[in-house]
Amino acid sequence: MNNILLLEDLHEIRAWLKSLVLQVFPTARITECSRVQDALAHVSSGEKFDLGLIDLGLPDGSGTDVVAALRDAQPDAQSVVVTIHDDDEHLFPALQAGAYGYILKEQSRELITEQLTRISAGEPPLSPSIARKVIKYFASQTLPVASNMPEVSLTERESEVLLRVAKGFTLPEIGVQLGLSRHTIADYVKQIYRKLNVSSRAEAALEAQRLGLFRR
Amino acid sequence: MPYPSFFTAPRAVAARRWPQVMAQPWALVLALATLLALLISGAAQANTPLPWLLDRATVVAVQAGVAPDWSQAREVVLPHDWDASWPGPSGMAVYRLHFNAPPAAGTELLALSVERACNTLWVSLNGLPVHEGGQIEEPVSRQCQQRHLVVIPGALIRPGANQLDITVRGFAPDEVGSSLRAGGLSALVLGPHALLAPAHERRMALSERLPQVLSGTLVLLGGFMFVLGWFHRKQSYLAYFGVLMIGWAVLLSQLWMTDWPWSNRRTELLMLAVLGVVTMAGVQFLMRYAGRRFDWLDVGLPMQCGLILLSLVMAGPSRLQPVALLWYALLTLEFMGAAIFYLLQVRPRQRSQLWLMAPLLAVMGLALITEALARHLALDGRVGLMAQIVPALLLVVLGLRLVQQYGRALQSAEQGRAELEVRIREATAQIERNFAQLADLKVEQVTERERKRIAADLHDDLGAKLLTIVHTSDNERISTLAREALEEMRLSVRGLTGKPVRLADALGDWRAEVVSRLAQSGVEAEWQSPSEDDVPGTLSARAFVQTTRIMREAVSNVIKHSGATRCSIRCILAEGDFQLVIQDNGNGIPAALDGRLDKGHGMASMKGRAKQLQGQCLVESGPGYGTVIRLTLPLDRHVTTR
Repeated sequence: MNNILLLEDLHEIRAWLKSLVLQVFPTARITECSRVQDALAHVSSGEKFDLGLIDLGLPDGSGTDVVAALRDAQPDAQSVVVTIHDDDEHLFPALQAGAYGYILKEQSRELITEQLTRISAGEPPLSPSIARKVIKYFASQTLPVASNMPEVSLTERESEVLLRVAKGFTLPEIGVQLGLSRHTIADYVKQIYRKLNVSSRAEAALEAQRLGLFRR
Repeated sequence: MPYPSFFTAPRAVAARRWPQVMAQPWALVLALATLLALLISGAAQANTPLPWLLDRATVVAVQAGVAPDWSQAREVVLPHDWDASWPGPSGMAVYRLHFNAPPAAGTELLALSVERACNTLWVSLNGLPVHEGGQIEEPVSRQCQQRHLVVIPGALIRPGANQLDITVRGFAPDEVGSSLRAGGLSALVLGPHALLAPAHERRMALSERLPQVLSGTLVLLGGFMFVLGWFHRKQSYLAYFGVLMIGWAVLLSQLWMTDWPWSNRRTELLMLAVLGVVTMAGVQFLMRYAGRRFDWLDVGLPMQCGLILLSLVMAGPSRLQPVALLWYALLTLEFMGAAIFYLLQVRPRQRSQLWLMAPLLAVMGLALITEALARHLALDGRVGLMAQIVPALLLVVLGLRLVQQYGRALQSAEQGRAELEVRIREATAQIERNFAQLADLKVEQVTERERKRIAADLHDDLGAKLLTIVHTSDNERISTLAREALEEMRLSVRGLTGKPVRLADALGDWRAEVVSRLAQSGVEAEWQSPSEDDVPGTLSARAFVQTTRIMREAVSNVIKHSGATRCSIRCILAEGDFQLVIQDNGNGIPAALDGRLDKGHGMASMKGRAKQLQGQCLVESGPGYGTVIRLTLPLDRHVTTR
């Protein structure tokens, strides 16, 4: 994690986050932004980022746009939402846009560094309410699959993991219940996030097609 | 069966003019036979029984106030009709008849029956006046269509030959609009009063009283319909029909109204003008009733009325009848044309109108033609009479029918209006309901938007400041308090904006939070809750938030104060209650704190929150026994089953 995009409008919090990030990734080069426009400019200028820490509620827009832009420009970059909102109404769109997880800002330094480490290691968090929303989202995916769109559906195992998360079981607990390693469970969660993003993009494309934005 | 009997005696008299044979149901067959015999013999004979027909007379034209000059007299056979040259314009004539004293003259009241004396007659017997029919100076009485019955006092009858002088005042045929009113005298019948009077009475009933009644009826009904039509312009045909009826009543009045306050000529003009108005009304009625309206008729027909009057005045007194007959023919044709047009118009559309109107119009047309003929050919008076009475009767029938139709239309209109009112009320109620729903929806939307705005403000302002405190404060206690405040704020926002939460989802959220928190603190957690299938219903956002707080507080207590190594959480749904039991194996609450449990443990706020939800929160604790917190909430208030 060498190049990190940090988008946060509050000065103190940004400084605090920066020190926190440097604690986890001491060698990282951190690009700080306080507005959506700045962040989008950085992303579109072709700058390479390995990780994006993105606040959602910003004075000139929503961080979700930056998540999506970063996803489009650099599919390998990981976006993590850093937010004060814990409700799925705010988080879910960011996850759909391609975020790989979220961190609640008010948590203790220790907790956040741990979460950050985990996310960057490929173990994104997943709350019951987000899991329920994902289940509902895929259950309602009755879109006719267009010829040029990849069909995205969850595997049985992924669904199983989601259901258990929704019931309040922690990821380690689920690992024990299914007889799977912690890494395998983490992979499933990653898969779920990826599919959510891909499916959302397909859905958006279909919607655009339906609206006649793409004329064939 | 009064009809045939009306004419019994007169018909016998008039047999030569109207030679038709009719069944005579009355006992007057005898009289008929006698009269026939008289006709054959040609003269009244002293030795034949009464009644006698007197039809031989000598006549002389006279001037008013001048004694007749009998040297100018000539013999005539009655009935005698005046012609244009004799006795001259506005003439007067005296007829002299002779008869021998009838055998029963002393014992029986005699009467002289005069079928027709136009316009009026005075009678004197043996030089003594016995009867004055009416005014013989202008305005001359109009009694052409009346029958006269003159009582002959027996004392005036001399034995042997008697002399009857009949002065007739009349007009030349061309001076009047109809031959029916041209001067003349019919044959006379002398007979017993007892025999002649009933027939006379019956005839008077037909020719005078019936027209009177009909005139009254027509005026009343016509006036009523005129007013109806006047105020309901859509039914203007009613007004025209009203005019038609009133006009006909005026025409009919000639049959019984004998004395007019002006000259005979003026009456004739008036009647012909009324005929024009009647035709106008009739034609317009038929057009409007058929649903058609022609502007040229609206203008043309009134102009025609004026033209009639003008042409009659221009023609002068001596050429009244030719012009009148011409007009009469024209008007009849107009009416017939209108009737045919009407029938053609209505036939394809309104058959219900037809069953009455078609026969009615047919009879009416027949009557009009008959009257036209009667006027021209001077047919028997009774034919003309019937031709005037029958249309009047038909008008009354049709008028009643129209009023009935109008009433029915009015009724259905009322009904329609009532139905419309009901429908409007229903629609109004529906609109009001919709509006109320819309208003509710609007309020809900506005409230929702307002809640979201407040939530966003709380996050952006309060949240950001608390967050800054959390991460910049050097004081651990302050940053912890700020963090807790932030969590509280978040829960409050959730209670503010939140929708009802499914109980199963709530259990999932709680489990994830409680288990991970306890795990992070190194406390072994044991969670028991009903499987998802057993958890129906939803929690209100408020109940969810408060329960979350209570649970959070309890877990915090376990982590911070109890020193427990194990904690079990059980959620139980039983008997309409939701029960949450949090039990740890820690130190319990120290005895020293007993009684003021809330010192730093938040027990009071937990209890207060439970109370807010109509539930209760019990804390059981003893040193060395650990702590049990039992939260009980009534489900029916906070879990809504869907």
